[in-house]
Amino acid sequence: MGNLVCKGIVKKYKDKVVLNGVDLTIEEGKIYGLIGRNGVGKTTLLSIMTAQNPANEGTVQYDGEQVWENRKALDHLCFSRELNALTTLGPNTQKIKEYFKIASIYYPNWDQAYAEELMKQFGIDQKKRISKLSKGMLSMVTITIGLASKADITILDEPVAGLDVVAREDFYRMLIEEHANSGRTFIVSTHIIEEAADVFEEVIFLKDGNVLLKENTVDLLDRARHVTGVAEDVDLVTEGLHKYHEEKMGRSKGVTVLLEEGQSLKENAQVTVQPLSLQNLFVALCGREE
Amino acid sequence: MQELFTQEKSIYIQISEMIETDILRGILLEEERVPSTNELAKLYAINPATAAKGVNILVDAGILYKKRGIGMFVSEGAKEMILTNRKNAFYDNFVKAIVDEAEKLGISKEELTKMILEEK
Repeated sequence: MGNLVCKGIVKKYKDKVVLNGVDLTIEEGKIYGLIGRNGVGKTTLLSIMTAQNPANEGTVQYDGEQVWENRKALDHLCFSRELNALTTLGPNTQKIKEYFKIASIYYPNWDQAYAEELMKQFGIDQKKRISKLSKGMLSMVTITIGLASKADITILDEPVAGLDVVAREDFYRMLIEEHANSGRTFIVSTHIIEEAADVFEEVIFLKDGNVLLKENTVDLLDRARHVTGVAEDVDLVTEGLHKYHEEKMGRSKGVTVLLEEGQSLKENAQVTVQPLSLQNLFVALCGREE
Repeated sequence: MQELFTQEKSIYIQISEMIETDILRGILLEEERVPSTNELAKLYAINPATAAKGVNILVDAGILYKKRGIGMFVSEGAKEMILTNRKNAFYDNFVKAIVDEAEKLGISKEELTKMILEEK
């Protein structure tokens, strides 16, 4: 096992700069949550990290080895991409079973028994054709490929899109179980932030073509506060702190702060101080600016 | 250990409080093994590192202890320790909050005392 290190990744689609110099280190043995708004470049970054898409500038290395066109490094990585019922050539008439067969050739540590077990847990018949699967079932197949690949670093791009709440909970459990048993590294991108927050050891917020922050989830939430009250009191209490997403209404004000090491809010009984959920924090940091 | 999480507190603090409550209720007995961080992680579908952080609070407080290679155990006298800690925290967590809120509402100390004496 090893770390996956991105340095200075730049990606442009024609004139549009999607990623502008991303530096990111994925350390082995953790579950990462990759969070960002639509179109911010999550999938682009993930595909560059796994050499499925060339970057205009920058390098990606796994355990010190260049990832691009390097089988030796790529054997440790799995990017289980969203599966489509339709291909450019028409409906994808392949059976799940056949799709697994291809995966078993592509991923050197493929675990067929585990893949079959997961399909059973999801309640899907492997003889089904991919074109006949619902959106949720397609997600289940994508998840199964990722988990059964047994790759050291496994990337799941919006694995829970299309899954109902029961299947989503099943997925989080499967992920934690596999991670606890094997110590594999996972990167999971998602828009359903709140319910997945407890699964991520670290979160990565992507904004404006770059990494806004990468931090231990618990530590990040521990230093986030929402302060509300009379505007002057709020200003007094939060003076000199990093403030985000100020909202005013009449005489009142609400603001999100991120405390740095050694900082604290000034004591004042007149303001309300609350913890934030990861979702609230994401909106405060990456939401629309006024 | 089947409580649901709230949004108000960090998950790792909730994990440590749940284990404490289980010790107080006699669900976990002294000198008995507690679930491992991996078991807790799977049970609650939370990251094992977060579960470990919760357990370590109790190890640092001497409420749990590690037996190398076997797991985590409830210390002798843990129940007593938790009760003492909770009593100490009672002033900060409850008394202060009640007095603060009473002040905001303009309830005098005398009125507040009367309310407490009349409760039950």
